[in-house]
Amino acid sequence: MNKNWRGVFEQIVFTLAVFLVFLLAFEDQLVVPVWLQSVGRLHPLVLHFPIVLLALLLIFEFFRFSQPTSDARVIIEKWVTDLWIFGAVLTGLTTIFGLLLSKESGYTGDTLFWHKWSAVSLFILFSLIYWLRFRSYYQKLSSRLLIGLVSILLMFTGHYGASLTHGEGYLLAPLNQNKQIYLEDALVFDHMVKPILEKKCISCHNPDKKKGELDMSDIKNLVKGGKNGPLFKIGKPELSLLLERIHLPLSDEKHMPESGQPQLTDEEKQILSLWIKGSASFTKKVSELVPSDSLRMIASKIFVSVNNQDVAYDFSEADSKIINQLANEYRTITPIAKNSPALRVNIFNKSDFNSKKLEELLAIKEQIVFLSVAKLPVQDADLAIISQFENLERLDLNFTNVSAKGLFVLKTLDRLKSISLSGTQVKFQDLQVALMGLKKLQAVYLWDTPLAEDELKRITTKFASIQVNAGFKDDGKSPLKLNPPELKNTSTIFETDAPLTLFHTIKGVQIRYTMDGTEPDSLKSAIFDGKVRVSADTRIRARAFKAGWIGSDEAVFEYYKCAIKPDSVTVVLPLNRVHLANGPKSFFDRNLGTFNANSPAWANFWTGVRNNDMELNLDFKTPKTISVVSLRVMEELATGIFPPQSIEIWGKLNSNGKFKRIQILKIPVPKEMKFHELYAIDVKFKPTNFKELKIIAKPLEKIPQWHGAKDKRALLLVDEIFLN
Amino acid sequence: MMEKEILEHGLNFNRRRFLSTMSLGLGSVALGSLMIPGLLNGGDRDDAGFTPGIPHFAPKAKRVIYLFQNGAPSQLETFDYKPKLCEMYGLDLPPSVRGEQRLTGMTANQASFPLAASFTDFKQYGKSGTWISDIMPYTSKIVDDICVIRSMYTEAINHDPALTFLQTGSQQGNRPSMGSWLSYGLGNENKNLPDFTVLLSRGIGNGQGVYSKLWSNGFLDSIHQGVQFSKGEDPVLYINDPAGMARNERREMLDQLAQLNQMSYEEFGDPEITAKVKQYEMAYRMQTAVPEVMDLSKESDDIVKLYGPDCLVPGTFAANCLLARKLSENGVRFVQLYHQGWDQHGNLPFEIKSQAKDVDQASAALVTDLKQRGLLDETLVIWGGEFGRTSYSQGKLTPENYGRDHHPRCFSIWMAGGGIKPGMVYGETDELGYNIIKNPVHVHDFQATVLHTLGLNHEKLIFKHLGRRYRLTDISGKVVRDILS
Repeated sequence: MNKNWRGVFEQIVFTLAVFLVFLLAFEDQLVVPVWLQSVGRLHPLVLHFPIVLLALLLIFEFFRFSQPTSDARVIIEKWVTDLWIFGAVLTGLTTIFGLLLSKESGYTGDTLFWHKWSAVSLFILFSLIYWLRFRSYYQKLSSRLLIGLVSILLMFTGHYGASLTHGEGYLLAPLNQNKQIYLEDALVFDHMVKPILEKKCISCHNPDKKKGELDMSDIKNLVKGGKNGPLFKIGKPELSLLLERIHLPLSDEKHMPESGQPQLTDEEKQILSLWIKGSASFTKKVSELVPSDSLRMIASKIFVSVNNQDVAYDFSEADSKIINQLANEYRTITPIAKNSPALRVNIFNKSDFNSKKLEELLAIKEQIVFLSVAKLPVQDADLAIISQFENLERLDLNFTNVSAKGLFVLKTLDRLKSISLSGTQVKFQDLQVALMGLKKLQAVYLWDTPLAEDELKRITTKFASIQVNAGFKDDGKSPLKLNPPELKNTSTIFETDAPLTLFHTIKGVQIRYTMDGTEPDSLKSAIFDGKVRVSADTRIRARAFKAGWIGSDEAVFEYYKCAIKPDSVTVVLPLNRVHLANGPKSFFDRNLGTFNANSPAWANFWTGVRNNDMELNLDFKTPKTISVVSLRVMEELATGIFPPQSIEIWGKLNSNGKFKRIQILKIPVPKEMKFHELYAIDVKFKPTNFKELKIIAKPLEKIPQWHGAKDKRALLLVDEIFLN
Repeated sequence: MMEKEILEHGLNFNRRRFLSTMSLGLGSVALGSLMIPGLLNGGDRDDAGFTPGIPHFAPKAKRVIYLFQNGAPSQLETFDYKPKLCEMYGLDLPPSVRGEQRLTGMTANQASFPLAASFTDFKQYGKSGTWISDIMPYTSKIVDDICVIRSMYTEAINHDPALTFLQTGSQQGNRPSMGSWLSYGLGNENKNLPDFTVLLSRGIGNGQGVYSKLWSNGFLDSIHQGVQFSKGEDPVLYINDPAGMARNERREMLDQLAQLNQMSYEEFGDPEITAKVKQYEMAYRMQTAVPEVMDLSKESDDIVKLYGPDCLVPGTFAANCLLARKLSENGVRFVQLYHQGWDQHGNLPFEIKSQAKDVDQASAALVTDLKQRGLLDETLVIWGGEFGRTSYSQGKLTPENYGRDHHPRCFSIWMAGGGIKPGMVYGETDELGYNIIKNPVHVHDFQATVLHTLGLNHEKLIFKHLGRRYRLTDISGKVVRDILS
């Protein structure tokens, strides 16, 4: 570098120094224009250059007086001098950038103070050395003293700067990491409240720096409070100074922590508030709080429960080739999680099972932590194989053939936490011995075993650390009502006769029934034996009974005789839009409808009319003698479904003749609201030989006055027609 | 026409192959992938962090039984006790409470919104002191085993979108159902039964449709589709051999077919072909596994008394609960029940009582039964509908009769078993049961929580389809850690 250039750099350093002093002097009035803010933000980038350069230069300078060779001397004299001034420029720029950056909100406090002033000192001192380097008194000792000082300043500045960016204690955090605290051991104050104070309050309120005469670093002083009195009122967070300050708007001078300092998170505010609202106790354990307590709920998010931590297994992974060989459709083997060596094994299919299926698993005996062999014919001898699965934690032996004696061998399984024995024949004495051997057991399932109630009780009291689950056993004190009997027939419409096929899904139920319309009871009514046949229109009423149960509600089944079927049916007038059912076929398809006909999904079997008559023509290839025409209808007055007001029967006696009215039946209009009902309306007349038969059923034209839909037309619904 | 597709497939296949081989080659250059992670993945392996069939972390629950109460049961007559409604009976819901809530067409034009108190009483039960209504006498006995969430909320106000949203994470459908996601994420435990089964039942109350899109596999392999088990002699349609075909002939036929399929897979590379082969094989094995599971005749008297007498009547909710236990016990990952008839726009007191009677005993029995077999710890049971119901009456309010309209802002569900804290009530609604005031749980939060109990990270359980990564929780959802045990 020639002299001119060096002069320019020297000028720059000087200007920078003056500018810096100016900035520092008027720091309080400094407002950084927006465009300059970006320059300030270059600080974290630029700072790395002077750090490296200075470190390098200091090393060269350190050896300057102990390196006699001339080559080295030349390098040091020439290059180091050039670089030194360059380093000074960089340091100056970085310092100024940093100062600009510090004007953005969020940078206050001690760390910044030390960072700033050590940086300024570093710059001044480093620049000063440039002019001192060739003075006569700048010798080995004085040089090394100055270099030492600069090095220390450099480290301080760097360290404080890093603390500003990454937070206090960033450097040593990995070394200071506390040991894990479990939910069960956590204290409300020590582990929930105190960490907040330490993170957000103590830097200003400690014995060294009692802002507002407040020291929050120990319990005694915390309770005492500061110059404005105590920090909190027990049970009254809304009246507590601590929370008041926290909740003041950020712009308020009294808001805490001061603006620019890290603020409390919502959860931290909540913890402080809940702690004060509780008892502001310093000794209470989280586990003493009831599970629904809000503070405990927050705690369970922060701390892991002892039982809940992911167990890290110390055994090695099994060879995936072996796993693939052993796994098949009746024996699934899966890792419990990604990257976990532990395996779950389920074996299914009774007919396929034998001891070999377990023996083969010995190849992965170390890795199995879960084994289910429920409902398989597992014998006591097989337990000896299972006892070699050394890391087994849960064993499901439900409905297997094992005995409690067989369980003795499992005492080697010192990680077994849960064992299911429901549906097995374990005996009390042996089970006691077996359970004593299972030291780590936490749960045992003993439902549906021969154990008597008092035996179960004794096990429960004897093994307090084991959760004994005996499950549900009916004590007969609150009997249930049986469901009504059902009918097996697909249809109850028959030509000549049909079997009565009542049944009930529960074993051992007695079905009693009547066919004469009387109410069935548990004493006198006929017991259903499966041999009865029905040969006329019959209303079957049936109930189910069984000891230990309440008798069922009544089930009603209607059998209808329909001896004659027409060869074709024509619907003369249109059917209601939603009640088309299966068209003309619906009337003789032997499908009866049920209630809820207004819902399209249920209306399948119901044909209906409202705005016109239901007019049907039935045609017979050879004339048939008929004396009764029955229409099965729905009556659901509440929803406007009424029986017809009249039914007319017309007949053509031969193919050329004209229709002649044979009979007309007027049906009385219901006089009051009734519950819904399904029944057949019979139109009887003297036996007549029909070639063609016409039915005209007229829906009710005016719903009576007592009804909510008075004067409107009623809906007529018919599902089947019977001809006899 | 087919030729064009084959050509296109060939081109795709080669490009993909090229990219992935290239990425493998370069992938060995560790530096490259360190500098720009994901650059070398060929773009097609976003789910690389996930191995289908293995959970992300050790799960609490291994299986789910979802007792879906279709039609949306009223929370105000079941789990969310609001005595204030008695005090304010018949008064109008203050507009400030209602806010901007859009209403359904059924009540939007109603002149007034009279607040309706529950016709039935509530009492506190168990150590947890949970309030349960009198129409749920059996559920009240298991409160210490369940976690009631009173602060669920959803985005839809009509049944189908709300139901679809809960089941698939999207209101529009076409996405995989929760059960399909689990099948994809966890694989099967018992290879002789489907991972995801569906059982339907219906009460006498006002019903709403349940469609097979709810158990659709969406864009996942069709092997993950829900299989509906119906009542009657053929629970799974078309799995029995036709008359005259012996089992060994069927085996031979399947083997031949598999060879043909293998050939066409080699030619076209369509993964649906392998899915199909797997399905044929499973159907073959199901021929023996299904009748065994569906056989209820060997259940003991105590079991019948526990679930109630209806449990032996095929097609009832009780029978489906019993079946659900048997399927779950046999390793079915996800058993989805739907019970229809909870849509009480009118005639609520009568209908809801009957609906509750249908499900109360059996739901409680299922929890008890799983518990006594040691299976509750590893089975997650969920009970609930698609949204809540309004605290005001739809239609005329009389002391004996009223109705309630759809209400998305709050509803109650309960969860029990695997990974869920027992004996707990979570969340709170305001005094009028209209808005949530504490711990709201969005449908996506609920879904994220369900996946979490099964060891799946909802943000990592993804599938790339048509250029976009899909999740059950779409782009949101937070695990509700407060209710995890």
